[in-house]
Amino acid sequence: MKKYNTLLAVPYFMWLIFFVLAPVLLVVGYSFFDQNGHFTLANYAEYFSSGKYLLMTFNSVWYALLITVITLVISYPTAYFLTKLKHKDLWLLLIILPTWINLLLKAYAFIGIFGVHGGLNSFLGFFGILPKQLLFTDFSFLVVAVYIQLPFMIIPLLNALDELPASFIAASKDLGASATQTFFKVVFPLSLNGVKSGVQAVFIPSLSLFMLTRLIGGNRVITLGTAIEEHFMVTQNWGKGATIGVVLILAMIVVMIFTGEKKVGGKK
Amino acid sequence: MQKSKFSWANIYLVCVFIFLYLPIFYLIFYSFNAGETMNSFTGFSLHHFSELFSDTHLVIILLNTFLLAFLSALIATFIGIFGALFIYYLKRRSHRNTLLSLNNILIVSPDVTIGASFLILFITLGTLFSGFSLGFWTVLLAHISFSVPIVVLMILPKLQEMNDSMITAGYDLGANERQILKNIILPYLSPGIIAGYFMAFTYSLDDFAVTFFVTGNGFTTLSVEIYSRARRGVSLEINALSTLVFLFALVLVVGYYYISKDNQGRSKKKKRGVLR
Amino acid sequence: MKKPIISFRNVVKSYDDDVPVLKKVSFDIEEGKFYTLLGPSGCGKTTILRMIAGFSEPTAGDIYFEGKRINNVPANKRQVNTVFQDYALFPHMNVFENIAFGLKIKKTPKEEIAVKVKEALRLVQLAGYEKRGISEMSGGQRQRVAIARAIVNEPKILLLDEPLSALDHKLRLNMQYELRELQQRLGITFIFVTHDQEEALAMSDEIFVLNNGNIVQSGTPVDIYDEPINHYVADFIGESNIVDGIMIKDNLVKFAGKEFKCVDEGMRPNEPVEVVIRPEDLDLTSIEAGKLKVKVETQLFRGVHYEIVCHDEMENEWIVHSTKKAQVGREIGLDFDPEDIHVMRFNESEAEFDARLESYDD
Repeated sequence: MKKYNTLLAVPYFMWLIFFVLAPVLLVVGYSFFDQNGHFTLANYAEYFSSGKYLLMTFNSVWYALLITVITLVISYPTAYFLTKLKHKDLWLLLIILPTWINLLLKAYAFIGIFGVHGGLNSFLGFFGILPKQLLFTDFSFLVVAVYIQLPFMIIPLLNALDELPASFIAASKDLGASATQTFFKVVFPLSLNGVKSGVQAVFIPSLSLFMLTRLIGGNRVITLGTAIEEHFMVTQNWGKGATIGVVLILAMIVVMIFTGEKKVGGKK
Repeated sequence: MQKSKFSWANIYLVCVFIFLYLPIFYLIFYSFNAGETMNSFTGFSLHHFSELFSDTHLVIILLNTFLLAFLSALIATFIGIFGALFIYYLKRRSHRNTLLSLNNILIVSPDVTIGASFLILFITLGTLFSGFSLGFWTVLLAHISFSVPIVVLMILPKLQEMNDSMITAGYDLGANERQILKNIILPYLSPGIIAGYFMAFTYSLDDFAVTFFVTGNGFTTLSVEIYSRARRGVSLEINALSTLVFLFALVLVVGYYYISKDNQGRSKKKKRGVLR
Repeated sequence: MKKPIISFRNVVKSYDDDVPVLKKVSFDIEEGKFYTLLGPSGCGKTTILRMIAGFSEPTAGDIYFEGKRINNVPANKRQVNTVFQDYALFPHMNVFENIAFGLKIKKTPKEEIAVKVKEALRLVQLAGYEKRGISEMSGGQRQRVAIARAIVNEPKILLLDEPLSALDHKLRLNMQYELRELQQRLGITFIFVTHDQEEALAMSDEIFVLNNGNIVQSGTPVDIYDEPINHYVADFIGESNIVDGIMIKDNLVKFAGKEFKCVDEGMRPNEPVEVVIRPEDLDLTSIEAGKLKVKVETQLFRGVHYEIVCHDEMENEWIVHSTKKAQVGREIGLDFDPEDIHVMRFNESEAEFDARLESYDD
């Protein structure tokens, strides 16, 4: 099989070299150059000394954390209850379906819902609450981000919970544990891998939702993603943009280490 | 155990599903609005649909987007199949893990970083080779690139499931490498390959951030177009588009469902016995 | 008879309006004995176990534990513990934590837990394995941990759901001895589910043979082996030669074209019956000395004995287990004693069968 395989894998290696390794090296490289093409450490110096960038970093991490925690809190019971239903496949399908609709269309829907005269305000109007600007607030940014990330959290949780052999739960009850004890001592610890992959799937993309900060956050919520977009597309200061890119890559590595899958014994 | 129809669990699920689907149906509902805003429904009309179909600029973008998805998924699938085979046949476990980690870099990276790094890459290439500029080809390359690792990840589990003695049997019966690949391995992997193609296709359709960075002035995809229009305000033409996209997604998801169901049928049998 | 610890009264179980998996089953289980529920998959044996454990409720009928009805008592409130088929050891806990699980739930003091877990591990011969992870244990060791995890709670009844089925042959034989010994040492009731008749015969005080949701026969291993109630049981338990015959009168049965003396009574004259003779009860002899004349078809060496397959003149097949060698193709004689013949009636219920045996046994 060997030679034949190597030959056919050439495009795959070209891809690895040109589209995986080269871009990473280029980003790292660019972060050491200023706008005039001279080697400098100023990008990093500025990043770590200016309050603006540090605040932005803090903001990004804070919002990503909020989004991740809120999605997790909503998703865990959802996934747990879904495993108890008949026709699980069908319900999973209904969770997946919204992910197949363009993210921007979903964001656009919220422009309508959150508008001053939009759906939510007219709904609140029934209760005598005066219409107010919901769009371009932290609240709207969080709601839309959570909305978009929700399925990506539910799916890994559902898979993890569904894989749990029924005999574990039977064994726990057999040994005298109540339903609550069974949940906290057996079900939840064994679904931690699902929680980790869900956090991975939500936290990193949440660091860089620049289109949402533009469309929904109204530039109020400035994140690292928005900053990269600005440096590359608007101010053309690629060195600074690349520096933030490197920071994001490092953040990603940190998250991967923290949520890296530790093998839980027994499973093959 | 299905005695009670009413339970807090079910109410909770209903709420979550309403949250998931309300925005989508909100969009679809207003696509039939005779008026021009998403605020008040002034009467039923299909005129936003006719507007949409007569907007040749948008229709061309739509066709471009699909062509891009079709091509990038196809090429990524080919590259991914042989990548997966190569990884699978690596002897050393440490080599396999290294290659897998490299493979996964583009999956776990934030898409802005991918977009920015590809932009740097293409501009660097542009300075090396004249005549290389941003446009359809750079977007295509970018889409192929972020689809390859997904295809690999969809095929690898199928390979691991594969019975190696099947290949030995192939050699034993006198097949050569090419025949084994064509007649045994690829047909066996086909559910994974189809699933991989499907995923690549939808990733391409759905992508905004990467495309946004590497597309030039001449070429636009649907996501980028919606972004620029949405920044200008509400246009119910986009709602009409959403309705069509939803229907299309529905068809795709149902298709995907049947493929994966076919896949599951085989793997489910191997689940461990449970006291019954 | 001692006071039963578990009683089933007309218990029916069906899922989703299907054919019931258990059809009106009634039986008693006494304290301190080793019981085996024996039958092929789908016979209802695991369903009975699940109902004793509390994982499912009967569709109709009643279950009593020491005289109290427990139909609706949940699993975690029963003094019953289970050793699961796939062991169901919690992969996120080590051996000690697995075994201590039930005791912790009951808020047993720490020092007591440590002592009890240690004792349980000693009982299953795994002393010193406390800190091991489940994934580091072999199949046989996991099996022992699963047993320790159950018995440490000092249940009144231990349920074992085909626990030996995942082990290799040799380990299985060892575990049969150990389980039997453990049961006698603890003195509690074991209810063991299996489809393996050898396991059932080797370990049990009492065997329930099940088929299609009914208990077909119950009794000691010797009773069931020597006096199977019908074709199904005779065939399921050990190897048997079963041929059609006619019960001429008490103590005289006709099969293979000849009449033979036997020790069975209580049938109608000239009643059609089935006759069982175990392969080890047949002896090879000369044609003249034999009661049956047969032709040897095949012969296999099985280690302890030869397995010889013969046919008589009526084309009945006879399997013989003999330490003597035969010659394939030769005609020989088969000899047996009247007590080796066991006559079975068609469609006789267990109650009728027991009553008939009682009438002439003494």
